[in-house]
Amino acid sequence: MKEVFAAISKDFETFGTIEKEGEVIFDKVNDFEHISEKRSRYAPKEFLIKRNENVLLLEEQTRRAVFGVKSCDLKGFYQMDKQILGKDPFYTERREKTLFVNFVCNEPCDGGFCTSFGGPILDQYDLQVLRDGKDYHIMVSDKFKEYFNDYREEGDSFFSRFSESFNSKMDVLPVDGLEGRMKWNSGLWKEFASRCISCGACNFSCPTCYCFDLYDDENERKREWDSCILSGFTSSSAGNVRKDLDERLRQRFYHKYVYFKKSKGEYLCTGCNRCVEDCPVGIDIKEVITHDYSIE
Amino acid sequence: MSVLTVCPYCGTGCQIIVNDSDTGERVTGYSKSPVNSGKLCIKGYSGLSYNFSKQRLKYPQIKRNGEFVRVTWEEAFGEVSTKLLGIIKRYGPDAVAFQSSAKCTNEENYLMQKIARLVGTNNIDHCARSCHSPTALGLITTLGAGAATGSIRSLEDSKTYFVIGSNTTEQHPIIGTEIVKERKKGKNLVVADPRKTQLAELATLHLQFNPGTDVALLNSIMYSILEEQLQDENFIESRTQGYTDFKTEVEKYAPEVTEGITGIDPQDIREAARLIASERPTAILYAMGITQHIHGTENVMSVSNLALLTGNIGVRGSGIFPLRGQNNVQGSSDMGDLSEWYPGYVPVDSPRVKKFEELWQKTLPKTKGLALSEMFDAAADGRIKAIYVMGENPLVTETAISDVEKGIENLELFVVQDIFMTLTAGAADVVLPAATSLEKEGTFTNTERRIQKVNKVFDPPGEAKPDWWILNEIGKRVAGIRGYVSPRMIFEEIGNAIPSYSGASYDNIYPTGKQWPINSDEPDGTEILHTKSFPIGRGKFIPVSYGPPAESVDEKYDLIMTTGRNYFHYHSGTMSRRTDILNRESPGPYAEISPEDAKRLGVRNSQYITIESRHGSIKTQARITNRVPAGIIFVPFHFDESRVNRLVGKKLDPLSKIPEFKVVAVRVLT
Ligand code: SF4
Ligand code: SF4
Repeated sequence: MKEVFAAISKDFETFGTIEKEGEVIFDKVNDFEHISEKRSRYAPKEFLIKRNENVLLLEEQTRRAVFGVKSCDLKGFYQMDKQILGKDPFYTERREKTLFVNFVCNEPCDGGFCTSFGGPILDQYDLQVLRDGKDYHIMVSDKFKEYFNDYREEGDSFFSRFSESFNSKMDVLPVDGLEGRMKWNSGLWKEFASRCISCGACNFSCPTCYCFDLYDDENERKREWDSCILSGFTSSSAGNVRKDLDERLRQRFYHKYVYFKKSKGEYLCTGCNRCVEDCPVGIDIKEVITHDYSIE
Repeated sequence: MSVLTVCPYCGTGCQIIVNDSDTGERVTGYSKSPVNSGKLCIKGYSGLSYNFSKQRLKYPQIKRNGEFVRVTWEEAFGEVSTKLLGIIKRYGPDAVAFQSSAKCTNEENYLMQKIARLVGTNNIDHCARSCHSPTALGLITTLGAGAATGSIRSLEDSKTYFVIGSNTTEQHPIIGTEIVKERKKGKNLVVADPRKTQLAELATLHLQFNPGTDVALLNSIMYSILEEQLQDENFIESRTQGYTDFKTEVEKYAPEVTEGITGIDPQDIREAARLIASERPTAILYAMGITQHIHGTENVMSVSNLALLTGNIGVRGSGIFPLRGQNNVQGSSDMGDLSEWYPGYVPVDSPRVKKFEELWQKTLPKTKGLALSEMFDAAADGRIKAIYVMGENPLVTETAISDVEKGIENLELFVVQDIFMTLTAGAADVVLPAATSLEKEGTFTNTERRIQKVNKVFDPPGEAKPDWWILNEIGKRVAGIRGYVSPRMIFEEIGNAIPSYSGASYDNIYPTGKQWPINSDEPDGTEILHTKSFPIGRGKFIPVSYGPPAESVDEKYDLIMTTGRNYFHYHSGTMSRRTDILNRESPGPYAEISPEDAKRLGVRNSQYITIESRHGSIKTQARITNRVPAGIIFVPFHFDESRVNRLVGKKLDPLSKIPEFKVVAVRVLT
């Protein structure tokens, strides 16, 4: 793996997960040994959409390789692709120039529920890395085959065996048919709204959320990460039609588990649990999945 | 690169990890933080864009013939120091005044008060005057320390929360969410607030009392406690003094008597009394709803009486929590940026000032200086000739603003050091461009006394410099200080000046901070104060009698206006109104008005209205909402195009000199 890292860092500016004051964050790395395998504190979507940037100028981006992304976070970017790749020039430029190396978790994390959406072995990836003791098993996409000319090829069986054992260690939530079960008038939304403080954490932490707001700052036009929980969301166009907080919270869950499923055939959620971890009032998206709507 | 630092907004002091431009400028809550455990509110997440605003001040400027001209730092320092020294020579040191800022670091606040005192004046004050000066005075009198008695984390051990005059989920959101979570688990929550806040909606009991009647309310709760004998006799006996006199006073406040004042049903008062006194430990949280009154200090002492009476102090989960509005109100007050105290709350006329004379090698002034609320009036009548402001915007935040304008006009020198050309900076003779807290190093002390390290993430724009650097240069020229090479060096001196900071160092407070007092007895800091005794020995009951607010309604001014912040903005809006998401969520001035009053006055939602008080009038937009009851309107003070503080009278709390921002008689004109 060290050699692969060295070869990649010749062609790419390399970033990876490192530990700082006990927190796993993304930063520049020049040595594979410095990269932490631990789950990062956040989904590194700022590599694709900067938190705040001037949109009047699209500079050519450098090629970047990001090591240590978790599968749930990476999967979110593939879901973003379905919506904005080729449409948002800033996203597209960065997406095409960024190589993500996802480290498959060896053990389930606390709270995560990725197996409800397929588990940590993804079928789309750049380089998908699974460590087995001192050995690394790597799934390589066609785009990056050149780095592996000198390595032995093996079948998929190691990954599928791993997948089976991993999935057996994590409870699978009853997501099937959720789009038909959720209720518009469920009491859940109002109860959530009574606690929610509109911090936006659920959006900012979500590996599938990409919405931004536009504003002018003197001679620049900037965009900044936005949250659909806020009442002013989309006010640069039509304005937010959802006046009340419970409607906005419901929209977020309906987008994920009803609308996206109906339009794109999958749930817009990777089971990363990040919105649950960052919500200051303990609103748990898993409750949206497990709630018994039939009694309402 | 990412840097661990502290949120620049409220006094909760959430720790944030901020990525620099190379890593996408992302903001994340620090999950190991004992303050916020990784959580943030919208200001933490989306509040940082002001740092990158193109409107930032980049160069020093001097006003010549009414126009600002760019100058070098050398020229600016020359201008300021020559004029300051000239004024001191001609009129004496008390002709100059300094205004520091609770948004600046401890090091900067320490330095500014040191400069003021070295030039020979105690005319040093700051915005804590307008928020928690009654807390400092009130709690120092009753308990011996003007600070929160517990930690944010200790709130998990409470059984009951009594929140009075604090809209916690909007103003100290991450502390508010602790209560929201615990309430969901079934803990008791009593909220006393004229407005229907989010916590009020979630509460076991909401006491929607009339603004300014806090003492009557608190006394009647204590009356009911005594009536049902729910007081903690043991605690009163072993830890307090002054009980008998206090009891005699409280016995005049039967809930049936106070109902006519507070508007609260006696049954609710008794229910509140039972919860607070019996379902212990009870944590009492308060904010501006208690302090911003002409009876602010008495209100604070009343809160303290309640804690002493019920033995809710010194135990995890109990205690008094004055919630600090700005990131460093606690610290800037600790540093002695108040005209009656040297660092560490040493009274200016106390023999203990000798210690500072030794430390700074100079004879120091020993009479009280002017309070913030008095400085501009003194300028208007010619007693003050020069004012030096660091990071404050008094034209928007002070009351009866027209006099502030007159005061400024009358000055021979007005210096403003800030990050933007605020309304106040625009009126200055010299404007000095400062760095933001993300562009410098230092420490902030949060609302639970936790001293936290502030670290540099970005470079300041243009020639802007950290406030400590600017003050250092000025101090060398006007106050004969030798000069500091870094904030660390200033912090080391703070450790010598303030006993409760003596054990803190940049190295040992990083990364998770430490709560003062930190000293040789408590090297790791102190989570809970007053566990065995009070700094003054026994806690003091102070009998407090109810007096009405300065203003009341009459036929002409028939509504009570109360002012405050909203969730998205911060004070005069210098930062938050230059931050896209925050400004979008709350783009302009408004007044919350009840449907009943709106109907009576024929006001429609979003209609422009004029609000007039006995002191002035403003135009704003009506927002009809059930959050305020009939008879009361609420107006946020963030908007310089509609300066609500114009309407606030000049009457001050005689003890702490805080104006009454919370009760103003007004009428609405359409
Ligand atoms: S993270 Fe929680 S509190 Fe914050 S906006 Fe989302 S649901 Fe609301
Ligand atoms: S609660 Fe206060 S300190 Fe924490 S993120 Fe919000 S504004 Fe910042």
